[in-house]
Amino acid sequence: MFIELNFKSGKPAYLQIVDQIKFAAAMGDLKPGDSLPSIRSLAEELRINRNTVAKAYNELEHEGIVETAPGKGVYIKNCPSPFGPETRNAMLSKVVDAAIVQAHHLQVNREELLNLFIQRYEEFEKRRKGGADSVSK
Amino acid sequence: MYALEIKDLVRKFGHTEAVNGLNLTVEQGRCYGLFGRNGAGKTTTIKCLLNLLEPDKGVIRILGLDPVKDEVGVKSQIAYVPELVAFYPWMTVQGTLDYVASFRKHWNKSLEKDLLERFELDPGKKVTALSRGMKAQLSLLCAICPEPPLLILDEPTSGLDPIVRREFIQTVIGAYQEADPTNRTVFISTHLISEFEGLIDAFTIIEKGKDVLTLESDAARERFKKIRMRFSGEPPEIREKEIMKITRDGRNLEIVTNIYSPDLQARLERFSPESLNLENLTLEEIFVVTAGVKGERNQ
Repeated sequence: MFIELNFKSGKPAYLQIVDQIKFAAAMGDLKPGDSLPSIRSLAEELRINRNTVAKAYNELEHEGIVETAPGKGVYIKNCPSPFGPETRNAMLSKVVDAAIVQAHHLQVNREELLNLFIQRYEEFEKRRKGGADSVSK
Repeated sequence: MYALEIKDLVRKFGHTEAVNGLNLTVEQGRCYGLFGRNGAGKTTTIKCLLNLLEPDKGVIRILGLDPVKDEVGVKSQIAYVPELVAFYPWMTVQGTLDYVASFRKHWNKSLEKDLLERFELDPGKKVTALSRGMKAQLSLLCAICPEPPLLILDEPTSGLDPIVRREFIQTVIGAYQEADPTNRTVFISTHLISEFEGLIDAFTIIEKGKDVLTLESDAARERFKKIRMRFSGEPPEIREKEIMKITRDGRNLEIVTNIYSPDLQARLERFSPESLNLENLTLEEIFVVTAGVKGERNQ
């Protein structure tokens, strides 16, 4: 499982794991039913504390992205997100607000930011549909 | 019950105050770091935990027990891996393991077999024929197979080559904690912090025998930041309460804070820098900034 941690990113390790798994699931790299590595093996691979991995898996379960079955381990859930539009918007607002604040600090104006959003969304859609050649950051 | 409690520990050697008011608490199930420079008091502290030295003042409790009053009780609950282990040179690897096992109530034989294989250690090899790395692996085996609730590691990777070091970190601590995560605690005393960056849940930095900083790793990485500002002219005088250290270099200012907040950043921006960049710090950098070279310290 390809997860990369950056201890200089300011984001706690468990959140980085959560985000990368969510991203992989959204991209189709991980499909419903795919199993995630055991807590121990992921912790060993990333050279981190097993508690950190456990925390990440708990968070993913809490967000409805994965499910744990005794004997089967942790795997990507079959069902779509159980959250209603209000909850989803509330969760997304946090991320959007952070982007707006960052844009402000970087002196990126509203129009530039909105254009960037559209650009990144289109990029995301492209990769999702299997544009394997496009490698961009 | 805590895995380890140290309250106001004091231990002097003549006029030298090796430990002079150390406080720390380790919850069970943690992977806890004791970080300090050479001579800061780490080894003296560990010796007090093992009753190799008696404290002058203060209280130590290991899983509720006092190492002085209940030495055997404490030692049956812990395993200690020192920096340099002394084995009986004529013994083989297996002989050493069997010998150590004879002192322990519990010994996980299948874990022993599993780790011997993982480390590719030849059980028939004599101790004198072992390299430094192999000796370190053997001492880890001796500590982990009895599966004690508390594992105390003193400079565990010093002298090991990068491959053995990785193997150690990847397998040993994982194997040890996995079987019983809430009740297995690891206490690591080291100055090679970058190796354990991912593993350490929480830490205490000891300097001149005192604890100077105790934090959870995630909280530490959130709070400590480097803010680099460049000005078009001479940098202004900046005095904000959250600034730990400030370094001037021509038109540049480098500020280290241990209580970062967006509000602090907003206040710094009011000085109208040409540019302002935020940098996060690794645990090792946090250590260096807290216990290391003194720049222009604010307050």
